[in-house]
Amino acid sequence: MKALTAPEGSPIIHAERLSKTFATRGHAVEAVRGIDLTVAEGEIFGLLGPNGAGKTTTMRMLCTLLLLTDGRASVVGFDLEKEQAAIRRNIGYVGQKGGLEAVATGRENLMLQAQLYRMTHAAARRTVDALIERLSLSEFADRTAETYSGGQRRIFDLAAGVVNAPRLLFLDEPTTGLDPQSRARVWAEVSALNAAGTSIFLTTHYLEEADALCDRVAIIDHGQIVALGSPVELKRQVAGDRLTFGYENAGNVAAASAVLTGESTVLETRVDGDTLLVYVTNGDEALPLLMRRLGAAHTAPKTVQLARPTLDDVFLKVTGRTLQAESTAE
Amino acid sequence: MRDAYLIAKNELIVTVRNPYWLFHGLVQPIIYLVLFAPLLNGVAGVPGFPAHNAIQFFAPGLLIMNVLFSAGFEGFTLQDKAESGFLERLRVTPISRLALALGFILQSSATLLFQSLVLIVASLAFGLRLDPPGAVILLLLIVLIGVLMASLSFTLGLMTREGGILAGITNTFILPLLILSGVMLPIGFGPPIIQTISRLDPFFYAVNAARNLINGALSSPSIPVAFAVFAVLAAIALTLFIRSMREAVA
Repeated sequence: MKALTAPEGSPIIHAERLSKTFATRGHAVEAVRGIDLTVAEGEIFGLLGPNGAGKTTTMRMLCTLLLLTDGRASVVGFDLEKEQAAIRRNIGYVGQKGGLEAVATGRENLMLQAQLYRMTHAAARRTVDALIERLSLSEFADRTAETYSGGQRRIFDLAAGVVNAPRLLFLDEPTTGLDPQSRARVWAEVSALNAAGTSIFLTTHYLEEADALCDRVAIIDHGQIVALGSPVELKRQVAGDRLTFGYENAGNVAAASAVLTGESTVLETRVDGDTLLVYVTNGDEALPLLMRRLGAAHTAPKTVQLARPTLDDVFLKVTGRTLQAESTAE
Repeated sequence: MRDAYLIAKNELIVTVRNPYWLFHGLVQPIIYLVLFAPLLNGVAGVPGFPAHNAIQFFAPGLLIMNVLFSAGFEGFTLQDKAESGFLERLRVTPISRLALALGFILQSSATLLFQSLVLIVASLAFGLRLDPPGAVILLLLIVLIGVLMASLSFTLGLMTREGGILAGITNTFILPLLILSGVMLPIGFGPPIIQTISRLDPFFYAVNAARNLINGALSSPSIPVAFAVFAVLAAIALTLFIRSMREAVA
């Protein structure tokens, strides 16, 4: 099998005004409303958002499973509407449910997948053997898929997604429902694939996953991108670090607030009973400086906490809701 | 074509390992063969009964009945595959939608042939006498009808996405088609209105042709009529199925 290659240096995904409207019982539901995004070759790009935000719909359009209602896109250098066959040869996809045939063995599942990428039986055999070896799956490969644990199944799903050595791998909520150990294993495999040159496009509603794995994250809500950047950038630009000063005497809090207001690193102060919340651009540097100022003004606190912002703070800032609440409300 | 074969092979491996569907379809016809066919012996001598013994009358129809109950319920297996993500996984590979559809059809045809052979052997044990060339032609007709029923069921399965709805629709249609086909009792026993309606049931022609084929009456016009009717219907249903595979519903 010879993979077609796109011109050097062009983005692995470039999408403009991507839109999808579903007709449900007579009324139209706009699942995705005009998404623009560009993913560079070699990136791990994540779509983060609550359930129903349009993450999966966006991914399904980009990997040729759903037709676009509007917009255009190129994926691995090919036009999404006109060159689906070329795209399919060059991408891998692991859906939320994986799709292993339960009464077939892991090896049989992988063999079928490899042969559908037009490999000869012998070539498929070599590829599948190598993959099973590399992912340490030999122990389970000849058992039927229905006997696998959630974690084992997920690694086989992943293996099925990469039998064609895709340039771009789509992962739809790769660790939803997995135990922490299996999740760490999936993260490690995804990182290894990326280190070997595979670009990754994933969806997730786990903040930690977006944070730990992704080079860049698009936060998506109601079918639109509401924030886009590296996890570090996003957290810095939207929230800032949070310092929490605790006082024995609530009377000192207002005075302390007055001292800190106007400091160049301070973005915002908020008085909350006997604590003072201070949002700063860079907590590590700001903390010693602000402590000196407070000490000089005789308003030193009794306790101090430094908290990094999470992507949930970012989500809260741009949508007014927290992602955690959205996910548990599901 | 290699892709269709790969899909069919995979599906057959799966069917053999989990032969529920293989036998689920057979249970009903076997019960009819064991419990119902002997009852017909009582009416075998009645004027208007087209054969001199019950098994010669009932067995050919039974084979047609099996197509309805086997291929006619294939949609459920496809719904499972859509639900498990299996179909979606295949749809991202370069396999054509045509090959995917034909793979499933091929698998259902192979299953149907196996079941038909089992039923023929069982009927022989009950005293059926068959004309070998006629029986071979009958198997061809059965596969053709199987393509029709499986295509319809697969298409409905993809459209409804829900086992309950699919079962409801399927059962609603299969029962009247079955009774009007004259599998159970000769349509000639009924009032003129039933006889007229039965002419609208394609399975009426299938059962007629099946009886003539088993008896070796190969020059009967009922045979080309049945092939013509089902070739047209199967072509339409297969086209529908391939189209529903193409559309991004799975």
